[in-house]
Amino acid sequence: MLDLVYLSVRNIFRNRRRTAITVFSIVVGFAAMACFGGFIEFSFEGLRETTIRTQLGHLQIYARGYSQHRVSDPESVLISEPDDVMARIAELPGVAAVTPRLSFSGLGSTGSSTVNVSVVGVDPEGEEEFADFETLVAGRPLEPGDPDAGLIGEELRSGLGAEVGDWVTVLTTSFDGVINAVDFRVAGVVRTGSKEYDSVFVKVPIELAQRAKETGEVERIVVLLHDTDDLPALQPRIEAMLSTFGDGFETRRWDELAGFYDAVVALYTGIFTVFAGIVGVVVMFSVANTMTMAVFERTAEIGALRAIGARRSTLVAMFLTEGVGVGLLGAGLGVAASWLIAGAVQAMGGIAMPPPPGMSQGFQAYFSLTGDVLRNAFAVTVAATLVSAVYPAYVASRIRIVEALQQ
Amino acid sequence: MGVISLRAVSKSYPSADARLQVLRGVDLEIDAGEFVAAVGPSGSGKSTLLNLVGGLDRPDSGTVRIDGVDLGGRDDRTLAAIRNEKLGFVFQSFHLIPVLTAMENVAWPLVLGGTDRRRRVARATELLERVGLAGHMHRPPGRLSGGQRQRVAIARALACRPKIILADEPTGNLDGATAAGIMELFASLNREDGVTFVVSTHDPMVVSHAGRRLHLAEGELRDAPPGKMLHEDPPHA
Repeated sequence: MLDLVYLSVRNIFRNRRRTAITVFSIVVGFAAMACFGGFIEFSFEGLRETTIRTQLGHLQIYARGYSQHRVSDPESVLISEPDDVMARIAELPGVAAVTPRLSFSGLGSTGSSTVNVSVVGVDPEGEEEFADFETLVAGRPLEPGDPDAGLIGEELRSGLGAEVGDWVTVLTTSFDGVINAVDFRVAGVVRTGSKEYDSVFVKVPIELAQRAKETGEVERIVVLLHDTDDLPALQPRIEAMLSTFGDGFETRRWDELAGFYDAVVALYTGIFTVFAGIVGVVVMFSVANTMTMAVFERTAEIGALRAIGARRSTLVAMFLTEGVGVGLLGAGLGVAASWLIAGAVQAMGGIAMPPPPGMSQGFQAYFSLTGDVLRNAFAVTVAATLVSAVYPAYVASRIRIVEALQQ
Repeated sequence: MGVISLRAVSKSYPSADARLQVLRGVDLEIDAGEFVAAVGPSGSGKSTLLNLVGGLDRPDSGTVRIDGVDLGGRDDRTLAAIRNEKLGFVFQSFHLIPVLTAMENVAWPLVLGGTDRRRRVARATELLERVGLAGHMHRPPGRLSGGQRQRVAIARALACRPKIILADEPTGNLDGATAAGIMELFASLNREDGVTFVVSTHDPMVVSHAGRRLHLAEGELRDAPPGKMLHEDPPHA
């Protein structure tokens, strides 16, 4: 087999110009695929981290039965003693923040206008990590010991006609079904990146939210990790920790809660698959052309190899090895080219992108050339070259020896 | 039965008007160690005869036996093994692999036969020394003269210690002196190693080395006494 690989490698480099042109087309295809894959990966990362760090955290802890009863009987699935649980989880290495949440919907009013709001009550002390992806447009963030302060989304500021320092009244119903109202003073205005979210977003201290809902309990505990990649390892440890408090909790990972993220991933993955297919076909035709020319040019040589004892299968293996060899060469250089392109984009400060649908801000795009991205591009490229070598290899194996030797 | 045995072998090829009958019911026995020259005018079927003997082509009818093995109905794998182990081929155009060195070309039949690298190198070295190319082992064919290339091809043909070497116009692309050197080499291999040679040729010098001559004309074959080019005789004389 090594001898066949050796002969194939020698054959790959016998017509250097043609090999260079073929390899160049593979490199271009690979780099296009890897950079597009890297862009999508970057988008996934951005969306994932935005989703996690503005809304969901990495893991949410609820009272057992929350998913069944949160609509029909929300008061029955509140967490009554969250402090011990939060303290124990916060001790785990890799955990960045553990914070309670109590959220509800209501009507926000400044007197002059009234709009729907989605209020989330948080612990300002544990919330600093979550504020990473909130851009403070005006005012200041929530601070501990400021029970009547609140942050509002940029779009909601327009809807309410409120400015920093203004008072906003939120009208809602308590868990007992009693209409209740609480007031907060606008401490700051934030932009989360999502226009839709910004148009209803209100963040207040959890005590204020508990006052509005007339409860001393919390709806959920949100756990934020330093690194999303740690989640698979940390989730079982957190769940084991929870089990020491009895059977009263259930957990949800962020990806079980992020329907929008899943939809975006599915859409982009579909687009990438189509793109990779197109690139694969281009690579296939390029390599097939080269390999077919090689077969016709080397017909006499094929005849001689057959005469000295090469089987048909040996020739098939030889040409497939050449195809794969060209593919590996192109893919290897493609990795280097992709890194160069990604490095250049990084050095330029990224590619300015317009705001995505439903978002309020554009962003600077980079190419995240992760191992998966490069592995996928590598696999598609090598598979395409292997497939493209099948027909020329078959042709080579079927050439009649006598006719080949007459070439 | 000889090391080569043909019985009622016929072969035709399609042509513009009808099938062209190249061999008609040829019978032939060649014993081990013979040096046979196949002569005849162009298109008389010399190369076709060698191709059939070498298992490179299949007859329309009749049987071809090599060292007692009937080639008829054999699959590709078996025919390839017979070509590799029992037969060596020398072509007019040498047909060396241009990307391999002389040493690698000679060793390649051994690669196909599954011989380990150490033995391959030893055998290729021995053969290249035998054909007078000890100083050219690591040169590719492109850096060898015609005569040197043909010597490499001969060494390659001998690599697997075949019983039979089939040479199709082996001196056709060589000058007179080089051709004479090649034929001396053939004669020495035949004499000293007992290798059976079947050589198709137009060259009287090649014929002069043969112990037996086969004359092919209009698809038919007959033995001729040594010393005279039969195709110079009137057909069927």
